Amino acid sequence: MLLVQLSLRNLLRQKRRNVLLGTAMAIGVMILVVANSFSHGISDIIFNRIMRYVTGHVTIRFNEKGGIHREIFRDRDRVWAAVKDEPDIERAEEAVGFFMRAIGNGKADNIILVGANTKIGVTKKELKELEESFHMIEGGWKELEKTTVENPIIVSEEKARTLNVKKNDVLRVRFRNMFGQDQAARLTIVGIMRNDNIFMQPVCFLELSNAKPLLGYRPSDTGTINIRVKDPQKNARAIADRIHDRLKPRLALIGGTLVHGALRSEATVLGFKSDDDSQAALAKKLTLTDGSLDPAMKKDGVILTSPLARALKVREGDTVELHYDRKFNEQGASRILRVSAVCEPTDGLGENVVLMNEDKFYDAFYEDWPKNDDPQGRLFRPDERNSWVPLLAPEWILLKRTNTTDDYIKKYRDLGKMKLKATTVDVSTMYETASDILKLEGVLNLITLSAVLVLFFIILLGVINTLRMTIRERTREIGTIRAIGMRREDVRNMFILETFFLTLFSASIGVMAGFGVMGLLSRFTFHMSDNPFGMLLVNGHVYFLPTFLGIAGNVLLIVAIAVITAYFPARRAADLSPAKALGHFE
Amino acid sequence: MNIIEIRGLKKDYPLGDTLVNALRGVDVTVESGEFMSIVGPSGSGKTTLLNVIGCIDFATEGSVQIGGREITAMNDRQITDLRLHKIGFIFQTFNLIPVLDVVENVEFPLLLMKSLSRSEIRKRADRLIAEVGLQSFAKHRPSELSGGQRQRVAIARALVTNPDIVLADEPTANLDSVTGASILELMKDMNTQEKTTFVFSTHDANVLKYARRIVKIHDGLISPN
Repeated sequence: MLLVQLSLRNLLRQKRRNVLLGTAMAIGVMILVVANSFSHGISDIIFNRIMRYVTGHVTIRFNEKGGIHREIFRDRDRVWAAVKDEPDIERAEEAVGFFMRAIGNGKADNIILVGANTKIGVTKKELKELEESFHMIEGGWKELEKTTVENPIIVSEEKARTLNVKKNDVLRVRFRNMFGQDQAARLTIVGIMRNDNIFMQPVCFLELSNAKPLLGYRPSDTGTINIRVKDPQKNARAIADRIHDRLKPRLALIGGTLVHGALRSEATVLGFKSDDDSQAALAKKLTLTDGSLDPAMKKDGVILTSPLARALKVREGDTVELHYDRKFNEQGASRILRVSAVCEPTDGLGENVVLMNEDKFYDAFYEDWPKNDDPQGRLFRPDERNSWVPLLAPEWILLKRTNTTDDYIKKYRDLGKMKLKATTVDVSTMYETASDILKLEGVLNLITLSAVLVLFFIILLGVINTLRMTIRERTREIGTIRAIGMRREDVRNMFILETFFLTLFSASIGVMAGFGVMGLLSRFTFHMSDNPFGMLLVNGHVYFLPTFLGIAGNVLLIVAIAVITAYFPARRAADLSPAKALGHFE
Repeated sequence: MNIIEIRGLKKDYPLGDTLVNALRGVDVTVESGEFMSIVGPSGSGKTTLLNVIGCIDFATEGSVQIGGREITAMNDRQITDLRLHKIGFIFQTFNLIPVLDVVENVEFPLLLMKSLSRSEIRKRADRLIAEVGLQSFAKHRPSELSGGQRQRVAIARALVTNPDIVLADEPTANLDSVTGASILELMKDMNTQEKTTFVFSTHDANVLKYARRIVKIHDGLISPN
């Protein structure tokens, strides 16, 4: 306590010198706080104000048959079952969007039509957040639910200007849907928004329930699923891992009836993988009794097991009809299959099995998702140990989880080289799809810190010099307190404490000044709607996000550096001989 | 009983390229309760002798016993504690701590001792301040006091720990003759009341009349008379 009292009072002795030094320190800390808060703010904008809405914290993405635009999964219930029981999910939503050519009043331009859910489970707070992000100039988000107009949409102010349209005008759009079909539609403008994010300017919002059928989704289909989670930094990866586990695919099969004339037989239809290695392995395993493999391998036909061929009395070149129940439609589905080969059901292959190239198989499987009700266990469902399983098609391909953007990019690059026939399912978090942004924040912080450390190096030279001068001026005093009976370590600590308090006070003032500067800079409004940097503004204002840990860390670092710097001159002061110190004259 | 016993004390220190023999074999003993003056001209070794007795400087050779304990064998911490508990200092230039007020300056050694409660410390400091006649200046900083008042504070600070010895190096050198005389009277009174041993150095003949015993030092040696 005595040392603290002495240190604090000593600080006030050289007011001008300490105020100058403290001011320099405070400016350094202020720069550090402002810069860190700015870079953290950029991350926050990108993660929590852009990506959160664009991709969510966790994303389940689908690509059917390797088609980059076919972001569709045909068994909505299966995927949502994997999501719905997660406790830390704030909100999960389907995200559908499409590029279109829009024709307004004598002008045409490209737009991105995005489905926006305003109906199901949307709270007032979320609507408010939406309205904050997309300032409505005319109309409101709730007008997307209008049923009195055709396809009500909200467009950006810039797009409305480009297309020469206003509220209640109709846009005609042309687009190619995900299945490659050319489509046309009419969209009615019910709202106009203003957004500083240049990337949001081509976006037009249509209520999700209207957007899905327009874009070709059936009620049983789902597009990409974006999931917002509570405390994303803590939970996102764990939730993604758990959902990933729940989405492990089984073997894809169609349980149905094969009909040939008047003959019928239950059968299990399986797809076999069409890559060269799998086909070679399949050719080795099959024992043909009729026909040849080539047409089946080339998608032209199917291979029947011999008991099934006998029951239906078919041979190579015959056609059979496959009938099966659909999961999402009461009407059954049927397909004509041409028999190109008959094989023995050897090595664990079921007796009533039809094998077909996965390319054709998935056409049937995805288009008319089979119900596969099998109360009597007649379907052939080999377990994982069955030697045929590695050669057969799964329900979908679940992509492995990745940790970084680099891994994520590599995963998709590798995927592009493979000619996949199945739907790929990818579960990712924004921390891997955009880990580069976190890296960017880290790099920004590092640059700031390096700059400030240079500044602090200069300041610390000041600390050393100030301390040296102080010690020189107070040499006789050091001799006196040592003579009276103060121990060496107390003398040393007294000087260290002086530096500690000076740095702590300066850093605290720097933090406060930093908040003041941030408050001031945030007051300015910038209109940057035609500049990509506009996306880094919130409502036209520079956005800072100071964090307690970040600030405390910076202050701690600066104080620690100052204390370490002060240690050596302080120790030298403590080691002075009392007699020599008392005999010192300036 | 000898409170200070010095035998064959030599002290050399370098000054530029030469070695100065500040003390060249000093033998001196001081009995408990003495009021003794060390007299000699400038450069005779008075301050060096006081510094060695006060354990703030070390002998090059010889034996120095304070209260029966040989100090030449002690480490820094033991010596520091000895100074704190057994020795009080009064300096020629007062050497008060400028950021502390009168009462805090007097309390300072007691706070370093950490053996008394806050109220006991204050009580003892107040008593000493009263004894040196500075009650009304208790909250003044040293810069607000006259030389004589500052030296009174220094005396109070030196006595507050009830030391066995108080060492005063030219305590009146920076004071006018009247104030100097009053300070010496005060020291003498304290010596009488508290039975504390006082050893002070001076080269002022007027001061000598206050001393009960005078030890003369010349060229680093004690003069026979």
